[in-house]
Parts: sequence; structure tokens; C-alpha cells
Amino acid sequence: MTQGPGEVVVTGVGLAVPGASTPGALLRRTACQVTGPAPEPFDTGARIGRRGHRYKDRATRLALCAALDALRNAELVPSDGEEVTVPGDTVGVVASSNLGNLDTACLTAAAIAERSAMDLSPMSLPNASSNVIASWVAIRHGLRGPNLMLCNGATSGLDAVHWAAVLVAAGRVRRAVVIGVETHNAVVADLLGRSAGELLDGAAALVVEGARWAAARGARAVAALGPYERGAGLGGCVAALLPDGAAPGVWFTPERYAGGPAGAVPVPGGVPVPGGVPRYDVSVAVGRASGALGVLQCVAAVGWLARAGAGAGTGAGVDPEAGAGSTAFEAGAGAGAAPDPVPASRQALLTSGDDTEDAVAGLLLRPTPDRCDPYPARAPLISMECSR
Amino acid sequence: MSQLVTGAGAVASVGEGVDEVFRALCAGTSGLGELRGFDRERYRTRHAYEIDDRPAPGTDLPGRATDWLLRAVGEAAAQAGLGEDLSEVPVLVGTGLRELRSAELAWRDGTPFDIARLHFGTALRRRFGAVRTHTFSGACSASLYALALAADLLTTGAEDTVVVAGVDTLTESMYGLLDRVNSEPPDRVRPFDRDRRGVLMGDGAAAVVLRREEPGAEPRALGRVRAVSMNCDANHVTAPDPRGIARAVHEAQWRAGVKPGDIDLVLLHGTGTQLNDAAEAAAIAEVFGREVSGPLMTAIKCMTGHTSGGSGLLSLIVALESLASGRVPPTLGLAEPLPGAEAFRFVREEAREDGDLRVAQIDAFGFGGVNAVAIVERADR
Repeated sequence: MTQGPGEVVVTGVGLAVPGASTPGALLRRTACQVTGPAPEPFDTGARIGRRGHRYKDRATRLALCAALDALRNAELVPSDGEEVTVPGDTVGVVASSNLGNLDTACLTAAAIAERSAMDLSPMSLPNASSNVIASWVAIRHGLRGPNLMLCNGATSGLDAVHWAAVLVAAGRVRRAVVIGVETHNAVVADLLGRSAGELLDGAAALVVEGARWAAARGARAVAALGPYERGAGLGGCVAALLPDGAAPGVWFTPERYAGGPAGAVPVPGGVPVPGGVPRYDVSVAVGRASGALGVLQCVAAVGWLARAGAGAGTGAGVDPEAGAGSTAFEAGAGAGAAPDPVPASRQALLTSGDDTEDAVAGLLLRPTPDRCDPYPARAPLISMECSR
Repeated sequence: MSQLVTGAGAVASVGEGVDEVFRALCAGTSGLGELRGFDRERYRTRHAYEIDDRPAPGTDLPGRATDWLLRAVGEAAAQAGLGEDLSEVPVLVGTGLRELRSAELAWRDGTPFDIARLHFGTALRRRFGAVRTHTFSGACSASLYALALAADLLTTGAEDTVVVAGVDTLTESMYGLLDRVNSEPPDRVRPFDRDRRGVLMGDGAAAVVLRREEPGAEPRALGRVRAVSMNCDANHVTAPDPRGIARAVHEAQWRAGVKPGDIDLVLLHGTGTQLNDAAEAAAIAEVFGREVSGPLMTAIKCMTGHTSGGSGLLSLIVALESLASGRVPPTLGLAEPLPGAEAFRFVREEAREDGDLRVAQIDAFGFGGVNAVAIVERADR
């Protein structure tokens, strides 16, 4: 297990999904399944304009929308601009998508077989490379730090958050924007063997930042990153993150997790998350999300932390809507060997991938330390950040 | 802090295994051939640097890239003494095109292909029990990016051993689109030549085992990684930016604590396209300044083709072999250097013997302006 770099926090969130524009709204849609007509597809033009569309595939447009939302939320780009207000080389990009450019590859190959390479549009060239999403985000906002594209299967979104934290912890960048995006089209639906309606057409984004760099520019943190694990099987992954069976305050389950409904007795040999812990499957609200799932889970968890924080001091972390609370399990959390300043019951457990996948990834998201700031702002850093 | 390379593996059009690949490159053997896996009539370009492992000309199979990756990782892990069990070791794979070739075959031709094998974690778990696997789609600098991330995991103390790999095969979509944009189809890759016509893709995989260097311990090592830089031009989605490349070269040297005059050998990215080679030449000239005639320079894509995501790591392995042996493979097809590179000390026509090479620089740049530069040194210092 990789211990969470305690000093890495979330300072911005962004969404480009149908029917939910804030973490709270995404959480509500996840908790209470909405009936009635499906919401309209997300209108990318309304956020990034026609110029933002040029030569870009749907996945890239969605990613640009979510990234812009997150960067604005983190106050790294002004409300009326696109360039970041900090030096561009202090910002990295980590994008995650498994299916993003499958359509370009497959349709291009088919067009060649039908006619010839000379009939192709040269404007498709960038989209033939899977990292085009991360590149366009960097170009649009002037982000010159490391630029990563994760295509890592079911765990890819949580893996992307992890690598952003590694970049920050290693001092490569002070902050990074993480984007998870997937879209559906005929190619994707065919290769996955699922109808397009089951699949996500949307994106989510986070800004993760070194706590000291966030403090130095006066940015507000909405969550702190806890430990991350990628391992074989859901049970082992959860046990590594929450030793001694400690109960998290909420569990964002793998996509369409079949371990039973909330409140059920855990299946024998199943997942060591007590049955009383509220379970949320974000993919129920937005569609099967593949490489975007982990980032969507983070955004929804930020919504959960905000709501739990609003009720802090009473039933810290207990989700009022989901019924069963987790206070009964706090003794187990406290019995863990490692002294953890944040009890498990106030943390959100996020897991992607299940036992049918090559691995399962898990991440804990925590409330940020109390307002008393352990990282006093240092004037020289502030002036450096603003010297652009 | 430095890291040791304790194992290496390579599969390319010119051979299988690090020894065979390096011998072939030093002998000036090229993997160039007529296009094997695709219907030649559909393209103006008719050549590539393919691994000849298909059942028959014009037919193609899914999963070839995965097979080469597993062989390269297996070779590196065996040499490092890790055996076949990588259940506790992170495996970071840099690739440009993943198994997109298999997806093309599945969607267009109905070839059976499990979409869970688009990334490489599924196959790595099956063969090596590896679960801490990460597939990075980072275009043509992907494997050096993966090396940089591995170095960070070792530096921060999170890990003491990491496997780093790179792999790519030709996709019909990328080959076709490159064919479409080339003004005149290239018949071979001629890095840094005035008359270069463009890039040709190549098949291949490369892998290394990277270990934290412990004081006092003296394990057998192929070489030492001093530093790896990574950045993004944030300028253009396909065209390179000499400023971004120069920043990456400068940062790598700065991180490694070396100056241009300390570099004995440069493995250039050298794709043979008009824009890339000109941008790389400008960046190298700027960073090296008056020292630009100091290091030997070579570019192996003239013999391997552009192995895309795996190319940076393949160049790095060749660099380590060159430092250890004193032999540097030639840049074939380089008749007259492009303007701005006249002063570069290219190794041409045949391999050069130079006994005292100590420090090498390896360049890798990719679509999207993703740049990574590594500095390595001979292990015995």
C-alpha cells in the first residue's frame, strides 16, 4: 500500500455530466435514483465555445469542460479567462480514459480498408494517439508540467489521482489537474457489447495540490488524499486501506458491485466493509464509467465530505440519507495500530475494479485538517506564484 | 539520488534480447522491410520496421504488442534476479498505442479480442502475478515518462524496485494518417539528414528493472540512472516546440548535476521528420552551446524505425550498452546533416569504438508536446 502523502489536498472539482453540475448534486443523483426521462447530453459548446471544439473528439471536449470547471473552482484560472494564474510549469495534467479514442482508431482502420489512406482527413492524426485528451487540456490552459495519460482499465481513474499525488509529493509540480472521461459511440458500444445508453458520456476533474502550495495562494481545500492501494481482489484492497475491519463513513463501490445491498450481511469471504456503511455506486447515476469512474467517485466523495462536515460534531461522517450510521464501528477504527488523526468513520472509501478485473484500486478521501493552518503562508512563495 | 538498472530486456525488428539487438545495431543491421501486416495497396508508404512474426503476409493477429512486452519484461526480470514473480513489484508500462491494433482488428474484421486486454495489466497479472501495474499512454516519450515516475517512487522511498517497460506496434490508423500527412512517402528513416522525408513506424518492446542504490551494496548493474525530466510544451497537439524540448534537456542535466560538457554520448530522438529533427537540433544546440561538438551523437530509429512508446527506453538500453562496451551504433542514412546540426559529432556509417564513455543523455519526445530526457552513467564509477 502506498501511504497517502498527507500533504496533498483537493482544491477544485469539476463536472461535465448530464444532470449534475456540483458534487452535492452528483451525490444526490447517486443516492436517489432519478426516474423519468434521461437528462440531455452535456452541452460542451455552452462551456468551452465553438472554438474549443475545433478538431477535437467528444472525449476531449468533455475533458476540457470538466478541467475548466475544476481549474475555476480551484481559482487557478479567472472566471473570464483560460490561462492559469500560476506559472504553467507548476501544474501537471493526469487524464484517464480507456475508450476515448477507440472510435478514431477503428473508424480510420475501416476507412482505409474501404478506400485508402489518402482519403483520410489529416485532422484525425492527433486523435489516433491516446494521449490527445491530456495534451489539449495542457494546451488550452498553458500547463507545462508533466502530462500523463492513464489507460489502465477499471482502476484507471483512481490510479490517475494517485499519480497526480505522486507528482506533487515528488516535487515535480505543485498541483495537477486530474481528469476522468469516457464517451459512448457505435464503436465503443460494439467493443464492450453494451448499449450506448448504459455508458457514461461525461467527464469529471479534480485539482490536487500540495497543502503548502494551496495555503500559500490562499486556496481552500475540500478534501485530503489518504492512502491508495492497487492490489488483487476487492477484499485485500479494502483490508490494506482499513486495517482491522475499520468502517469508513461511506463506501463508493466498484461499478455495479454485486456484493449485496446496503445493510445486508456481507457475503462469506466477501468484502470487509461492514454492512451498515452506506454504499454508493456512482455509475448508477451517470452510466458505466470505465476510466472515469475513480475521478467521479472523488467528486461525489467531496460532496459527501462537505455534507458530513456541515454536520460535524454530531454524527461526524454519518450520511443522513442512507440510514444506517457507522458510529457503531468506530471502536474498531480506533483499535488500529497506526494512529490516524482522522477516524475511519469520517473518511470516504473509494474502490474501482472488482475481482473479475486485473486488479482493484482503492483510495481514502478525508476531511481537511481543521481551519488552523499548519502551513503558514510564506510571502516569497506567494510573490513567486504571482510573478508570471 | 541515483538508481541502478539491474536488468534489461528488448524485442525489436532487428532482434530478440538485449545482446542480439545491440549487436545488430552496432553491425548496422536495419529492420526495414516492405509492409507486412497491412494491405499495401491502400497506402503510398510501403515500408516499416516490423517484427516478422505473423502467420502470413497481409494477415494480422491481435495481441502481438502484449507478447513482446511480456518477453521484454521477462528478460529484464530474469536478469535482475526477480524471476517470474512480480506480485510485489510495480510495473509501469509506457505505450503510445496500447493494443489499439487489436481493437482495430476486432471492430473491423470481427477478430476475437478481449477489451480488458487493451491495457497491459491483464496480461502482466497472468504471466507474472503483477497487480501494481500501470499503462501510460504517453505517445512517443511514454517509456521515459514511466522511467521518471519509477525514479520518483524510488526517490520518495515508496518502493525499492520498479519494473519499467515500453511497447508499441503499428496501428493501421496511425500508419495511415502518417501516410496521409507526409508530402512524399519515406522509404526509410534518415534521422537528421538534410533530405529526410519522414518517419516510419517500428515494432518493439523494451524493459528495465530499476532499483534504489544502497550505500555499501555493490550489486551487478548495467548502469545508473542519474535523472529523468518530463514536461509538456503546452503549445501544439502534434508539432514539437524547441523551447519545451530545450527545457526538458536542461532540466534533466540540472537534476543529474551534470553540465553539457560532461555528456559523452547523446541518443537522439531523431525520428527523421522535418519538424522533429529540426526542433531537436535547435534545442540541443541551444542547451549545449559551445559544447555541442563534444558528445558523440546517434539515433537508432534509422534501424529500428520509430518504436513509439517503447523508443525512449530502447534508446536508453542501447546507451547503457554503449557506455559499458565503448561501442556506439551508427546513424544510417545520414549523408549530410540538416542545417543547425553541422557541428554535431554524429556516428555515421559504422559503429564507433570509443573506450571511455561515462555519461549519456537519452531524448524522447511525443505528440502532444510531451518531452522526457534521461541522464545515465556507466555503473563502474
